[in-house]
Amino acid sequence: MKLPGRAALGIAAAAVVALLVAAPFGLKPYGIYLLSLWTAMTIAAIGLNLTLGYAGQISLAQAAFVGIGAYTAALLTTQGWPLGTAFLVAPAMCFAVGWLLGYPALRVQHHYLAFVTLAFTTLVFLIFRNEEWLTKGVYGISGIPRPTLLGWSTKAPLDFYLFSLGVLALVTAGTWWLVRSPWGRAFMALRENPVRADSLGVDTRRYTLMAFAIGSALGGVAGVLYAPLVQFIEPTAFALALSLNLLLMVIVGGSGYFFGPFLGAAVSVLLPEWLRFTEGLYLILYAAAVMVLMTICPTGLLGLAERYLERAKTRAAAGPAPRDGATR
Amino acid sequence: MRTILEVRDLKKSFGGIHAVDGVSFEVREGEILGLIGPNGSGKSTLFNCILGQLAPSAGEVRVDGRPITGKRPCDLARLGIGRTFQLLQVFPQLSVRENLILAGQEHEGSMWSRLAGQRDAGLGPAAERMIEFFRLAGVAGEKAGALSYGQQKLLDAAMAFMAGPRLVLLDEPAGGVNPAMLADLRERLRELNRIQRATFVVIEHNMEFVMSLCTRILVLAQGRIIAEGAPEAVRNDPEVIEAYLGN
Repeated sequence: MKLPGRAALGIAAAAVVALLVAAPFGLKPYGIYLLSLWTAMTIAAIGLNLTLGYAGQISLAQAAFVGIGAYTAALLTTQGWPLGTAFLVAPAMCFAVGWLLGYPALRVQHHYLAFVTLAFTTLVFLIFRNEEWLTKGVYGISGIPRPTLLGWSTKAPLDFYLFSLGVLALVTAGTWWLVRSPWGRAFMALRENPVRADSLGVDTRRYTLMAFAIGSALGGVAGVLYAPLVQFIEPTAFALALSLNLLLMVIVGGSGYFFGPFLGAAVSVLLPEWLRFTEGLYLILYAAAVMVLMTICPTGLLGLAERYLERAKTRAAAGPAPRDGATR
Repeated sequence: MRTILEVRDLKKSFGGIHAVDGVSFEVREGEILGLIGPNGSGKSTLFNCILGQLAPSAGEVRVDGRPITGKRPCDLARLGIGRTFQLLQVFPQLSVRENLILAGQEHEGSMWSRLAGQRDAGLGPAAERMIEFFRLAGVAGEKAGALSYGQQKLLDAAMAFMAGPRLVLLDEPAGGVNPAMLADLRERLRELNRIQRATFVVIEHNMEFVMSLCTRILVLAQGRIIAEGAPEAVRNDPEVIEAYLGN
């Protein structure tokens, strides 16, 4: 029974990868830009999903880490450093800062923790805006170059998208491995019952800090990808609105589901664009769609899919329906 | 017999209420000690103070002669001290098997070795044995939250034994469990006591269960020990009868 299920999963995964590689062909540069934006936002949402969805620690700080990543990449690459340096430095910095930000989570939970992390996002935003000597303040940093890898220039939108897709693939593989390791199980224990986890020997303190640190580091990776994508960054891009948007991506896709962030980021980045034909109405329709989804299924799109599959399984286990159709 | 747990003059107050008021006792290796007393007599508070969930106001707890007061629950778990809680404490979204693996995975190696190691932390076979032992084979792949109350109670107990602890403190293991399953649970616990040489302290309101399982009983009332001895002696102690039934 297991093998066909695995084969189906493999085929589905291959089809999705093929679709993602083929997607930009025939699209205009703006369409390709949106796909690249989706990859960056997905990475940031994967990080938040790890902190919130798996380990159960609410965070409104993810925008700050995307910002730290983006500013690190912008500052380094405009000074002539390769983007690879930023891929090393930014996640390491975000990991360290995320670890420190985890300490309040050892004392407060839920909406109190949300406020602590919200304040952190505001603090980082103010640093981006006010420390002009470093960040150029509201004028932002422009002319951020796109990288060249072993002679392959990613200057063109299509090339940069394929590069971003590669980074997303690496992040996906790494996170998949992490959540399926004993660490992933410990993170979920933290979310479901920290007191019991503690009594079973799970060092809840270290795992909480680790969940924050790794989630934040992935925010940094997203930022490093975001800076050369937009090639111009300024502080408002990393304000609270982005944190809320990333939270929305995780919740809409399905918090605690591995593929939730992929779907959530697609909804958040692509759906508003698809609704543009309604002109002035598109954001209203988008907001209404999110409200309806959250009312019908608070566990997000993948939660909805799981509910449907479980019902189908229960029906199949109950046996075939009566032939005469009397029950219908 | 060697003393494994030693509690000396332990006190815990909440404002003006003395929940635990100078309790001293010893637990000897291999025994099954029952801890009984009316509601509000301080039994669970005593457990929580011993196991680091609450900081005691005064007194000392020693394991193997070494003080453990102030240690965190996760450190105590790694010292071989397990527990179950009065209310159900399983991880509802994890499968029965995953619950059991989680219960054992943090006891060996470092955090880093677990990241690089096997997905089941090498505990797959041990989890299967525990599933078999507690007769949970039919539901091993189900989410723990989907199990019946009695089955969750068995899982809860099984989790406390996954890491092969030397001392397990069980807080009302029989609460809400039907009589047939109860007899089974008693048998499982006796067997673990015999095979693993695990020592138990059991809080329980079900007198029949506790009297038939335990080798020694402590009676707590208003935060103090009022009687101690063999089940039969305690059952007939006038002070104990008074504490339960009043004058």
